[in-house]
Amino acid sequence: MDPRKSENEGNLDPDQSGLIYQMALDIGGSLAKLVYFTYDEDCAIEGKDGMSPEKAVAKSKGSKSCAVLRGKLNFKIFETSKINDCLEFIKSVKLRLGGCQRQENPGSQAIAVKATGGGAYKYTDLFKERLGINLDKEDEMDCLVAGANFLLKAVHQEAYTYMGGQKQFMDVDHNDLYPYLLVSIGSGVSMIKVEGDGKFERVSGTSIGGGTFWGLGKLLTKCKNFDELLELSYQGNNRVIDMLVGDIYGGTDYSKIGLSSTTIASSFGKVISNDKEIEDYKAEDIARSLLRMISNNIGQISYLNALRFGLKRIFFGGFFIRSHPFTMDTISVAVNFWSKGEAKALFLQHEGFLGAMGAFMSSDQHELKKLLENKAVHQQASSIKACAIAGDLHGDESIECCVYSV
Amino acid sequence: MASLAEDDQGQGASRIQNPEADDKKKKNSNMAPTSGNSIHRSSSRPQLDVSKAEIQGNFEEKHPTILLPNQSDDISHLALDLGGSLIKLVYFSRHENQSANDKRKKSMKERLGISNVNRRSYPILGGRLHFVKFETNKINECLDFIYSKQLHCGGLESHYSDNVADRNAIIKATGGGAYKFADLFKERLGVSIEKEDEMACLVSGANFLLKAIRHEAFTHMEGQKEFVQIDPNDLFPYLLVNIGSGVSMLKVDGDGKFERVSGTNVGGGTYWGLGRLLTKCKSFDELLELTQKGDNRAIDMLVGDIYGGMDYSKIGLSASTIASSFGKAISEKKELEDYRPEDISLSLLRMISYNIGQISYLNALRFGLKRIFFGGFFIRGHAYTMDTISFAVQFWSKGTAQAMFLRHEGFLGAFGAFMSYEKHGLDDLMVHQLVERFPMGAPYTGGKIHGPPLGDLNEKISWMEKFLQKGTEITAPVPMIPPGTTGLGGFEVPLSKGSTLRPDASALNVGVLHLVPTLEVFPLLADPKMYEPNTIDLSDHNELEYWFTILSEHLPDLVDKAVASEGGTDDAKRRGDAFARAFSAHLARLMEEPAAYGKLGLANLLEMREECLREFQFVDAYRSIKQRENEASLAVLPDLLMELDSMDEETRLLALIEGVLAANIFDWGSRACVDLYHQGTIIEIYRMSRNKMQRPWRVDNFDDFKERMLGTGDRKPTPHRRALLFVDNSGADVVLGMLPLARELLRRGTEVVLVANSLPALNDVTAIELPDIVAEAAKHCDILRRAAEAGDLLVDAMISPSNSSKESSTSVPLMVVENGCGSPCIDLRQVSSELAAAAKDADLIILEGMGRALHTNLNARFNCDALKLAMVKNQRLAEKLVKGKIYDCICKYEPAN
Repeated sequence: MDPRKSENEGNLDPDQSGLIYQMALDIGGSLAKLVYFTYDEDCAIEGKDGMSPEKAVAKSKGSKSCAVLRGKLNFKIFETSKINDCLEFIKSVKLRLGGCQRQENPGSQAIAVKATGGGAYKYTDLFKERLGINLDKEDEMDCLVAGANFLLKAVHQEAYTYMGGQKQFMDVDHNDLYPYLLVSIGSGVSMIKVEGDGKFERVSGTSIGGGTFWGLGKLLTKCKNFDELLELSYQGNNRVIDMLVGDIYGGTDYSKIGLSSTTIASSFGKVISNDKEIEDYKAEDIARSLLRMISNNIGQISYLNALRFGLKRIFFGGFFIRSHPFTMDTISVAVNFWSKGEAKALFLQHEGFLGAMGAFMSSDQHELKKLLENKAVHQQASSIKACAIAGDLHGDESIECCVYSV
Repeated sequence: MASLAEDDQGQGASRIQNPEADDKKKKNSNMAPTSGNSIHRSSSRPQLDVSKAEIQGNFEEKHPTILLPNQSDDISHLALDLGGSLIKLVYFSRHENQSANDKRKKSMKERLGISNVNRRSYPILGGRLHFVKFETNKINECLDFIYSKQLHCGGLESHYSDNVADRNAIIKATGGGAYKFADLFKERLGVSIEKEDEMACLVSGANFLLKAIRHEAFTHMEGQKEFVQIDPNDLFPYLLVNIGSGVSMLKVDGDGKFERVSGTNVGGGTYWGLGRLLTKCKSFDELLELTQKGDNRAIDMLVGDIYGGMDYSKIGLSASTIASSFGKAISEKKELEDYRPEDISLSLLRMISYNIGQISYLNALRFGLKRIFFGGFFIRGHAYTMDTISFAVQFWSKGTAQAMFLRHEGFLGAFGAFMSYEKHGLDDLMVHQLVERFPMGAPYTGGKIHGPPLGDLNEKISWMEKFLQKGTEITAPVPMIPPGTTGLGGFEVPLSKGSTLRPDASALNVGVLHLVPTLEVFPLLADPKMYEPNTIDLSDHNELEYWFTILSEHLPDLVDKAVASEGGTDDAKRRGDAFARAFSAHLARLMEEPAAYGKLGLANLLEMREECLREFQFVDAYRSIKQRENEASLAVLPDLLMELDSMDEETRLLALIEGVLAANIFDWGSRACVDLYHQGTIIEIYRMSRNKMQRPWRVDNFDDFKERMLGTGDRKPTPHRRALLFVDNSGADVVLGMLPLARELLRRGTEVVLVANSLPALNDVTAIELPDIVAEAAKHCDILRRAAEAGDLLVDAMISPSNSSKESSTSVPLMVVENGCGSPCIDLRQVSSELAAAAKDADLIILEGMGRALHTNLNARFNCDALKLAMVKNQRLAEKLVKGKIYDCICKYEPAN
């Protein structure tokens, strides 16, 4: 069904234009992620000014397959250390969260916003004080899983493999999604076995994650931000830093144990053997070694955990990946290497927003969730902007979508 | 006896051990009398066979190599692990410690059914395995060491070939340096390095050590080491994690059966590499040292940092769990210079150790392996590293798996290379044939890097003296904080700064492995696998402290005795001082790290003291005291025997047991008793002691024993076939206590085997001294004389040929065997083959004295009747073991099941 064909007649209320219908936050250790839904300005909703979607839905029950809501799911990122920017942003947008909500609960003063991540606890007072927003805390893992489940089911070609520079999108059969391993790479890494909606368990994790990459990278290279560091790694050569199997075995493979001469024997191992100082190494090379070390390690531990629980799919998400080709490639290679080709690493288009998306989904103040879960959202694949590889941290992204009644 | 001891025992021994070599020797030198006529030989002075010696190479060299083609006694065998930072050496030197061939023993062997021909022909060479480390950048020291010990030209290959000067000699080696230094070895030592596969060496080294050394493996949790005994038959499969620059994980299924199943590139090289970039440390050890003062909370992002100090308890993460290693370095506007190198080093160490632990556990899980052993240079006995790895394994396995470490961890590769020799001679080695000893200097150098080799006694003494001059204090043990309060928990404990753990203190010492092929497990042990000789567990800190104090206090007196035994010369005084220092250093080291020498029991401690004395060539510190007391006791023996013979059977048996207990008061190992000696003559003390005997004793199974011996009513039990009497002290103890008891048994038709020490320990009677004592006693007692004749004990003492004695005698024999040890205690897992053979027909064991019946074996169970007799001459021991008082008596009788 082409959503555009279903565009509805109906009045466009100027007041509704740009209304943030619902918002959710995921405030992690290093980044704060926002997901919010806006009405399309040029898109009509069926219903009158201020009509709640519930009512709109109810009203539209009669007509088959017609959109009741049309708008965008927007995604936005801030550095947690610059949480004020985030507050400013929320303030600046016409945050009229759930106009419906206020309408229905005229007495309530505070606006409740779903939030997850450690920052939801840490910044509770700040949000209350500055914006009058009550952060309604949702469990982080719940949100991650709900977000991933939703995106995998609802968004066309959300998942893809990445090998040798080639992205290959794939559709996951909704009926054959579970169980899978969800690896969320934030500052640290959580590995979650997912068996269904709301059915999951954190089975493992590692403290060597995005925070390690950035933290060590910052100390070693003086980079100012994560993306700069990623960018550097793109141009580096890890052979200068890492001790390869070939370095130990004189250029020959140690084929007896299945290691090729280019396999990294020891990350940063070459730094030992000469008298160079930190200044003598190129920041690019350091960044690349670091990235390979961390990606490889995550790939390996993930595979071992998938193996342990007999999970055939491993989805990698979280902000460390950021669609960074080299990161994805290393993780894919690691999974491929350790599984001897039996397992493949899968990535998610909206990898960074799983938690925020899940928090968004956890809202029970209206029917949106139900509608979304009923797969009433269709994404226009063409409208997705790839997550900013170039490193614009504040670059946002949106999924245009319509909410239909079914 | 000392002069006899220096006889050419080497020949006799090597003939037994190695017929092939001996033939050659005869061919070459035609000098060795083949019928052994030597007696005992001191273990500390190996003999050189200098026949056909020639100087090799350029005569104008300052120290030309002297070739000893017929020197078969001290054959050496060397293997190397040439690593990036350390060179590890394992070498073997042949020693035949125990004499085997005097006439008496020979006849004893015949009697016991041992003959050198039809018993096993000992494929294993008796000798010692030495473990030595050098820094790779000081390879010249290593070459000098090899050269000075002539390790490079003593390999077995050359031993078997006629041409020792064969310069194609090879040395097995592993590690990256095997290629790098090949030319250097060729040039300096004229030997070729033969490279062995690293992984294969690791595995064979680990397999051997885990099987051959009883408590090779240990766990390390919260600063506490606990040794684990692994059944050699239930070792496989296991995961061996070798942490070098990178990490290899090997699944080991058996000897030579292994597979590299995984690994990680985040290893020791990563720690050192990143650490070097971040901290400017100049060495790996410096970097490790820094962690002691580190606090990782400055760098790592903890769960609490994300959750505003709260736990994320829903998924089991506490606030102090590291959420992201180095994650805090992100958010703050700090530069590298703003972080303390200590904190960085600690964060790095935890990150890497934790990661290795996690990946190892996942792999063990994957293959269903229950044990994970960690080794490699990254660990280096570093407490914090071990704790972090242990914690990771425990955390991820939810307590179902444990990380284990190996005492000889650094030597796996070198040992494996050693094992790769075609004839390493260790194939059939069993755990009971190995004795680990810690020579002088072990407290200083054992776990660390070795300096130049110490050759003779003089060097040893001056080395000890120099140590003092340098101001290095060797203090008597002082109380310290009990372990366990170090407050270190690994990954999650917030205050785990590591400041309380010293890295160097944790580096365990590695001793010299003595291979004694003649040792066997005592065959009458009911459950050899569960047998633990030590009654006192020194892992209890209070016990440790108490016994250390006892030993320290006793030391001056011991030194006096030792010096006097050597004539009180200046040389003896110098040796005495050096001994005192060396032994105090052992104690101080063990006080600092009780696990330094492996699993420590009181028996080990007491034996170490004796070994230390021998090392400074105090052959027998109590020699004159023993002699004096033997004479005094023998003088009153006839009266005592007469007194006993006047009693009826029942009264006599009680009097005999009382006598054994009373006479056990003569013990120079007991402080309280030494004080007593100043108050009276031997017989006075003995009588006083016996008069004080009041039943019931603290442990009193006498009635059961009596019933077994005499029966009840008309029922007369059959006498025991053969009794083994483990004797204790010289003087009254053996003469007035055990001999009369032996006599009673003989009278009842029971063969008696007196089991005594092979080497002196305190005033304990030795197997060599016993025949003379028995001969003297036999002069006044027919029963003893006939039994001693029947047991061929009198061959030395009497002029008449012994051939006729067997026929003329109608008595059951009285025999003497050595127990194979030189300690006041006895570990029944390692006894002489003679004792093992004698035990075969025995159905009664009598253990006498504190060392053998209390400190050890009080809880041992046997397959035959066992009687344990001792007087408790130590207040604390009395309280601890039997809730009694000093001078309480133990008469513990345990019938065979």
